[in-house]
Amino acid sequence: MATITAEDRTALTDSLHRLLADRCTETDVRRTMETEDGYDPALWQALAEMGVVGLIVSEEYGGVGAGPVELERVTEETGAALLCGPLVSSGVLAAGLIQALDDEAAKSRLLPGIAAGTTIATAALTGARGGWTERDVTVSAVAAGDGWTLNGVASFVTDGQSADVILVAAHAPGGVGIFEVERGARGLAVKPLPTFDHTLRLAELTFDGAPARRLASNGPTWNAIEQALDLVRVALAGEQAGAAKKALEFTVDYAKTRAQFGRLIGSFQAIKHMAADLLLESESAISAARNAAARLADGAPDAQAAISLAAFACADAFSKVTADAVQMHGGIAFTWTHPAHLYLRRARADAQLFGAPAAYRERFLEALGA
Amino acid sequence: MADGAATLTDDALREEVRAWLAANWKPLPPEQPGAGGAGWTTSPERKAWLAKVVDARWAVPRWPAEWYGRGLSDAQARIVEREFAKVGAPGTGQDRSNLWANTALAYASPTFKPKIVPQLLKNEVGMCLLYSEPGAGSDLAGIRTRADHVGDHYVVNGSKVWTSGAATADYGMLIARTDWDVPKHKGISFFFLPMKQKGVEVRPLRQITNESHFNEVFFTDAICPEENLLGPLNAGWGVLQTALAYERSVMGEGARGPRSGVAEATNEEPLIALAREAGVLGDPVIRQEIAKVIAYRRLNALNTARAKADLAQGTSSSIMSLGKLAMSRILHEEARVRTMILGAGSLLEGKDYPRAEDANFLTLNAYFTSIGGGTDQIQRNIIGERVLGLPREPEVDRDVPFRQVRGNG
Repeated sequence: MATITAEDRTALTDSLHRLLADRCTETDVRRTMETEDGYDPALWQALAEMGVVGLIVSEEYGGVGAGPVELERVTEETGAALLCGPLVSSGVLAAGLIQALDDEAAKSRLLPGIAAGTTIATAALTGARGGWTERDVTVSAVAAGDGWTLNGVASFVTDGQSADVILVAAHAPGGVGIFEVERGARGLAVKPLPTFDHTLRLAELTFDGAPARRLASNGPTWNAIEQALDLVRVALAGEQAGAAKKALEFTVDYAKTRAQFGRLIGSFQAIKHMAADLLLESESAISAARNAAARLADGAPDAQAAISLAAFACADAFSKVTADAVQMHGGIAFTWTHPAHLYLRRARADAQLFGAPAAYRERFLEALGA
Repeated sequence: MADGAATLTDDALREEVRAWLAANWKPLPPEQPGAGGAGWTTSPERKAWLAKVVDARWAVPRWPAEWYGRGLSDAQARIVEREFAKVGAPGTGQDRSNLWANTALAYASPTFKPKIVPQLLKNEVGMCLLYSEPGAGSDLAGIRTRADHVGDHYVVNGSKVWTSGAATADYGMLIARTDWDVPKHKGISFFFLPMKQKGVEVRPLRQITNESHFNEVFFTDAICPEENLLGPLNAGWGVLQTALAYERSVMGEGARGPRSGVAEATNEEPLIALAREAGVLGDPVIRQEIAKVIAYRRLNALNTARAKADLAQGTSSSIMSLGKLAMSRILHEEARVRTMILGAGSLLEGKDYPRAEDANFLTLNAYFTSIGGGTDQIQRNIIGERVLGLPREPEVDRDVPFRQVRGNG
């Protein structure tokens, strides 16, 4: 991992903040979420040039070589801005997975493009049950000549419709492996799924004898997948914490300007007390997300407990803050044109992606030895 | 800062403290709770040690030299504190932790200060707080205990509540109304009231938990010397704010654990251990509840750590103010889940049923945190107004002469 100082970190998040303030406004988000691929290619390129897309990719493959701590700070910003696009799919999940495997050729072949933003990659890990555990793998692989062919249906594949490369978890003789499939491969059918969160892109991928290349792994492949998922959990926790903070901010600002009964509504304890409770939620989410990142970066023995804690605490906090934000605004937030529902939709999506809060509470207890 | 302190190096200071402790410190016998739940009494050995620490100017190293101090910086005072802590010696750091002495130093009159400050530092006098009243809880500025200036003293009438240590105290820090014709915050004065006199009656209060840690205190023409007024007349609200700030800064981790004293056999989270013992650790509903509650406590610890790190870097933190509200939820929720784990077992009480005792005690004692020191509702107002900057609730009594403000009954 590269040496990154606190100043480097602040410089990166500051410039990212400025970029997003300029080019990821609510108007930009609304425009982008209506597009087919769900991202803004020019903004994506700018993020890549800033080092955000290749943040965790090692320097030798053209990335920044940063770790979980930087990743979490970055996603606090992208979450607050409701950034649309394959940052987590490509820059975290796929890049993290490739780096966790032991396939030098795959690293050289894929990581430079991912870091540069010219290759969009994702991973297909689960079937229609959407559990993101080894038991949820629904694709199987059979050897065919030099390579492999895949059969089965994977679902909830993030950015599956825009991905150039898909890393597919599939059952193979000897256990689950990771198989690389290229966009447009014969035997691969990509069906975009309609999503409740319009800023999210999900696809169902059907493999019918699709040709694939197996990526080499030293240990059990699911361990490598878990390593990648840990980075995704940290990224998602940061996104949730940053977005929750933002949603609370604009709600409190509204309570300072909206008058009813001759008073600003924020002077009513009915509103003020909700806001105080939400501040506890959103600050706790930030603490949990940053702690998870730090524990993972340190390789601490309690990292799994910290990550599971952040996963459910941030999901629950973001859900609670955005749900109450709509209520506190009143009628104005029941309209499509108000941004509150965009955050509520993102909160509901983030709370299910890569595992739901109840599952993480169970993981948390298991990590505590119960 | 004194000239001597400016040139004193950290190493020289450390050596001086170590040498003094090596020459003077002998471990003290353990402290005993006072008889009949009357609070803690100070042993003669402890008093003798504190007097030594005060006379050697280690008790309040941040204070000026003319008041038993050394004019040290905070950083150097912490060196002194660390050296005392290493050998387990009490008595230093009172410039941070001694609420009474700090309040007296800041506000006591020129004749009273030299008498009371050394007594407070040496723990020679017992103290109590006379703030809340039956009719003034959340709205503390609505107090109706009166102090009338008669000759060279004040005459105090009224009553206070939630006073711990009142039975043994020599003085009470009292807020009383001294002007009824100005708005409520502007007619209050702050006194060190002598407690051991005919006009002061202390009655123990039986709490919801069936314990008695607090008292009601009644004043009937109690006498307070003029020189015991702290700060100017009618400026007591400001003095109180200083005193409350000291109190909050030392309160820290105030929440109590289980009462039964049954030792936990493992380092396991208490709720996990309890569920394991009760045979319900496999119940998925209970597991979810346990995880939520453990999370509340851990998140609060993470918030506190983050706030401290922010403070250390010089950025003030809004998170600090969230701790009390968070702790209320932790205690209520932990008690709820304990009860859930025990099920019908929580119907019982008494020494033969220590788990039920714990669950039931913690259920009731959680209100100590969610009501005491400002209710959760007042705390939410404070967070909303001071942290989030939301507008204040209109106050109908704010600019009205107190005589015209509606009271209870």
